[in-house]
Amino acid sequence: MSKRSLAALALAAAAMGALCAGAQAQDTIKIGWAISKTGPFAAGAAVTTLPNYQVWVKDVNDAGGIKVGNKKMKIEVIEYDDRSNSEEMIKAVERLATQDKVDFILPPWSTGMNLAAAPIFNKLGYPQLAVTANTNKATEFTKRWPNLTFWLGLPSEIVDGIVETFAKMNKDGKIGKKVAMVAVADQFGIEQSTAAREGLKKAGFEIVYDKSYPFGSQDLQPVLKDAQAANPDVLLAFSYPPDTFALTDTAKVIGFNPKVFFVGVGTAFPGYKGKFQANAEGVMGIGGSDAALPGIKWYIQHHKEVIGREPDRWASPITYASLQVLQQAIERVGKIDRAAVIKEINTGSFDTIIGKVKLVDGQNKNIWAVGQWQGNDFFGVAPLNKAGAKPVIAKPAWQ
Amino acid sequence: MTLTLDILLSGLVLGGMYALIALGLTLQYGIARIINLSYGEFLIAAAFGALFLYTGMAVNPILGMIVVVPAAFVSNWLLYQVVLMPLVRRAKNQGMLEVDSILGTFGVLFVIQGVMLVTFGGSLQSYSYLSVPVYILGTTLALNRILALVFALIIGGVLYLFLTRTRYGTALRAVAVNPAAAQLTGIDIRAASALAFATGGAIVGAGGVLISMFLTFSAAMGVVFTMKALIVVIMGGIGNMLGALIAGVLLGISETAVARLVDPGLTIAVTYALFLGVLLWRPTGLFGRPAR
Amino acid sequence: MSPRSIGLAGAVLVAVAAAAALPLVGSGYHLALGISLLYFSVLATAWALFSGPTNLVSLATAAFFGIGAYTTAVLTELLPWPVVLAASAVVGIVVALIVGLSTLRLSGMYFVIFSFGLAELIRQVVTWYEVNIHGSVGRYIFADTTTEGIYWRLMILLAMALGAGWLIRRSRLGLAVRVIGQDEVVARHVGIDTTRAKLALFAVSAGFMTVTGAVMAPRWTYLDPAIAFNPVISFEVVIMALFGGAGSLFGPLLGAVPLVLLFDVLGAYFPTYFSVILGLVFVFIVYGLPHGVIGLLESKVAALRRASLETGMSAFAERVTGPVWSRAAAHEPATDAPVLELIDARKSFGGLKAVDGVSFTLNRGEILGLIGPNGSGKTTALNLISGAIPADAGDIRLDGKAIEALPPHRIAQRGVARTFQLVRVLPASTCLENVIAGLAFHAPPLWGEPADEKARALIARVGLAGREGMPAGQLTYIDQKRLELARALALDPHVLLLDEWLAGLNPSELQDGIALVKMLRQEGLTIIIVEHVMDAIRSLCDRCVVMNTGRKIAEGPPAAVLADPEVIRAYLGDADA
Repeated sequence: MSKRSLAALALAAAAMGALCAGAQAQDTIKIGWAISKTGPFAAGAAVTTLPNYQVWVKDVNDAGGIKVGNKKMKIEVIEYDDRSNSEEMIKAVERLATQDKVDFILPPWSTGMNLAAAPIFNKLGYPQLAVTANTNKATEFTKRWPNLTFWLGLPSEIVDGIVETFAKMNKDGKIGKKVAMVAVADQFGIEQSTAAREGLKKAGFEIVYDKSYPFGSQDLQPVLKDAQAANPDVLLAFSYPPDTFALTDTAKVIGFNPKVFFVGVGTAFPGYKGKFQANAEGVMGIGGSDAALPGIKWYIQHHKEVIGREPDRWASPITYASLQVLQQAIERVGKIDRAAVIKEINTGSFDTIIGKVKLVDGQNKNIWAVGQWQGNDFFGVAPLNKAGAKPVIAKPAWQ
Repeated sequence: MTLTLDILLSGLVLGGMYALIALGLTLQYGIARIINLSYGEFLIAAAFGALFLYTGMAVNPILGMIVVVPAAFVSNWLLYQVVLMPLVRRAKNQGMLEVDSILGTFGVLFVIQGVMLVTFGGSLQSYSYLSVPVYILGTTLALNRILALVFALIIGGVLYLFLTRTRYGTALRAVAVNPAAAQLTGIDIRAASALAFATGGAIVGAGGVLISMFLTFSAAMGVVFTMKALIVVIMGGIGNMLGALIAGVLLGISETAVARLVDPGLTIAVTYALFLGVLLWRPTGLFGRPAR
Repeated sequence: MSPRSIGLAGAVLVAVAAAAALPLVGSGYHLALGISLLYFSVLATAWALFSGPTNLVSLATAAFFGIGAYTTAVLTELLPWPVVLAASAVVGIVVALIVGLSTLRLSGMYFVIFSFGLAELIRQVVTWYEVNIHGSVGRYIFADTTTEGIYWRLMILLAMALGAGWLIRRSRLGLAVRVIGQDEVVARHVGIDTTRAKLALFAVSAGFMTVTGAVMAPRWTYLDPAIAFNPVISFEVVIMALFGGAGSLFGPLLGAVPLVLLFDVLGAYFPTYFSVILGLVFVFIVYGLPHGVIGLLESKVAALRRASLETGMSAFAERVTGPVWSRAAAHEPATDAPVLELIDARKSFGGLKAVDGVSFTLNRGEILGLIGPNGSGKTTALNLISGAIPADAGDIRLDGKAIEALPPHRIAQRGVARTFQLVRVLPASTCLENVIAGLAFHAPPLWGEPADEKARALIARVGLAGREGMPAGQLTYIDQKRLELARALALDPHVLLLDEWLAGLNPSELQDGIALVKMLRQEGLTIIIVEHVMDAIRSLCDRCVVMNTGRKIAEGPPAAVLADPEVIRAYLGDADA
């Protein structure tokens, strides 16, 4: 036993030693991230965030590195698992900054994690490209923490797109005014549904069913049956991936065929099409891709080659674009000067796979609020006046 | 009236799923006396197995059970013989075994989850099988969920009859009630416990296959099912098959009723409230033996 | 103080000072690691305060932690910090008292899963409230506090948790829960109000957990039920405390510190294989350290071993924890009336009428033999008297006062002591502690020096002198019976119930035993013995009550009732009649 404890001690000592090793002369650029590889957030991070970090690092290194001044610096990655726990994430970020002395830190996954990370990123002076954070308080937060940037659009902007889409369909005589709304009872679902309630009422829609359900519900049939009984023209669900799949499946089984079937996070996953095949046709959700953009076409194909599957069509392209923005900002600054990079991210204008990105109040406005499965892709359909928006098609009944 | 019937049938189907999840644990905890925290990981592993067979080799999940269930049986038997047996031998009493098995299977949980994460990644998995409507008494239900209920009833019923009507089943129950005395009657406790544990594993394997047909799952989700199973088992009374079935169905029906009649936001709350209420009313579950 | 203990105290002081200075010298990461170490240490220590001695494994840690975090989230902009923390402690303790009152009768796995369900229920209800009443699930916390502040607050909290543990261990409350953890039936029969004792500890433990949550919340800026009530915390705390050793004060600390470091090293160096390696490490820990880290240390370090056996009875600790107990009822003054009366007492188990309308009286200073064939209801009758099981119907009066509705600890405090058919000692406690358990909870309670003296005298009296420090589990069966009697006598009873206390003795031991019982009567004790040893019955009993199938079939002097044909038929069966 004592031998074993000695060995453990030696291991710990070696670990500590490794931690304290000083920074060598810099010919690589150190980029770290703490992300949920285990725990309840792992599923989300594994779809949206982590693969894009990996693809981007590979792309940069394949191209010889990031051009800083007149030399190309390859990326060296330091990765930690935050175990879906805020405290672990904060600790890992501190470790990346103060022990590993990384040059840049990529953000964790989810709104809560990014907000928990915000004070630390700010204190340490690192840019935080909080792609998977989605909150109506974004403007307030970017004022408080100027290094923090948001990328998915405000919930209210997404809702504006949704309302706009429905209003146009109504005006064109395609749908009536009755909306059934369900939302998952967490921050995402509640912020979106609160904004939607207001927006839909203002646009003259009648909300005939309006309920939330707890995260982790294993049977959504009761919810859908009551929604169906209200005989709506639109089902609008702010759901999470497992529920998005379950809602679609259940609606199909019970023959609930509203003219608009809008489900939340997960609709834009390639797996959605994979599971529902022809039944995905006409289903709407948040996000979308612009098939007209060559960057997106390249990205989808490239992501599939590197990771082995297609990316989701909402936050994935934006994540990759945010990394392109980071890279371009570093190259423009020409040295590892985080304050200058933060300034450049906030003020510069960048060419990315999703097109031109220019932040306003630290927020990316180049977003798709509504997308729709049409054929083999999930196309952006709203904001209606956004370049590349596809016209909405009528959703066929479930097969 | 139709609403009542609708609630009862939908609740029954949901409850069938809960019971299905719990039946294997009733055996593992009720008879082999192991609190298996890695229980849900086996469920997820079986779900991955079914997914792989279906999407990779086009084997339908029902047939897939022919592969998955024996695999689950063997791996659980090995788990008991290799990992848990030393703890069983060492334990001086039930309390010690409980603490050791909690700690040990907590480790196993991480190992299995880690292997699945490395192999399949952390993302959500889902496929469609038998997701077709069935009309019963004016209510629409999904065939794959009905199948889970039917399996739960068959497995629960067969096990109940086996445990109460056969010699070997009686022996197993003797092990559950009093391991020391069971030994006196010439029962090989360890073999019996290993068998009960492995059978429990086989049942959860079957459950994992069935559930994968309609629930989205990921490598990190096992513990959700472990806790659900523990709640059903405890609510029904440890080691009691009928108790697990009835507890599962009660939970399913009350969840559905609350979703339809009150507020879907309270469904999970009502599950726990019902569970806590039952324990306050009967501290050893619906059909549990009094502690002493 | 010996030079050695001064040296030890000095080392501890230096270590504490170094830990306190960490925020001034360490990096942000060191500070974050320090916070992790501290908050898990507090939670594990608080958890073990209750779950260690009672053996009730609670998974409600996340519930209290989350309640604390939410209290901070709601109040932080309205009230100053100290008030927020105090408020959170109050909320946590109130919730713990309400919950505890309803749940502490559960045991084993039922309690474990109940506590888990409770935490989840609270989380669901908070979520529902936030969605439907507050209108937003997440809350933002902009508290005016620094990371260093959180670190130091946690340090103080850990010191307080350890201090509370130290005090409780040295008070009657600590003894009470040690007894409860080993044998709850014994606990009730030595006059311990088990509900109060468990409730008090549960509340103290919950209070620390709640305040930990309240202190930690400002770390995260954003709080939602999934973060605050994260069930993983509950599991991690259980694992840490069990790994370190939940039975001793510093055990949880010895579990929390290495495991937090292990998590950290694994998460940092093997982010992909974290789970697999962690799992394997756990499995090996279970094999390698069957008694936790503290067990390993105790077997290696003699000083620790001694320290861990030392109970220590502190008057100061007793003053602090004293308010837990209500005033114990004093013995009634002696009168000429019968000491004990059973009037038409009844008890059935399902269809079996174990005691079926039995009445008898017990006169002051006599020895009453309660005899009858196996299964005739004698032990059940004793259980009704001692309150171990409540009677279905009938009256039981002690000194003319009804006791049938009283819980066993009240009956014990009124002067009824008993031994058990299957001997019940506290196997892990020393003989001394076994007897002190009998002294500490009657009225007025004995504690400290007087208790020690009296306990030693009683041990000597039953012939166990010299074995005061031996764990009771190591005594022979007969010696355990003696110890059990010493514990019963420690209650200073005026009615003593002996359930087959003489069974299993060899002839010379039997003579000693009979002499001892006789002497007890001479000292004024009134005794009921349930016995099969006929010699003992003839030589000891003034009167006998004979029971068969739950009914009284005869009563009178031993010689007369033993000659009664119905009694003979009851013992030998109908064939002889």
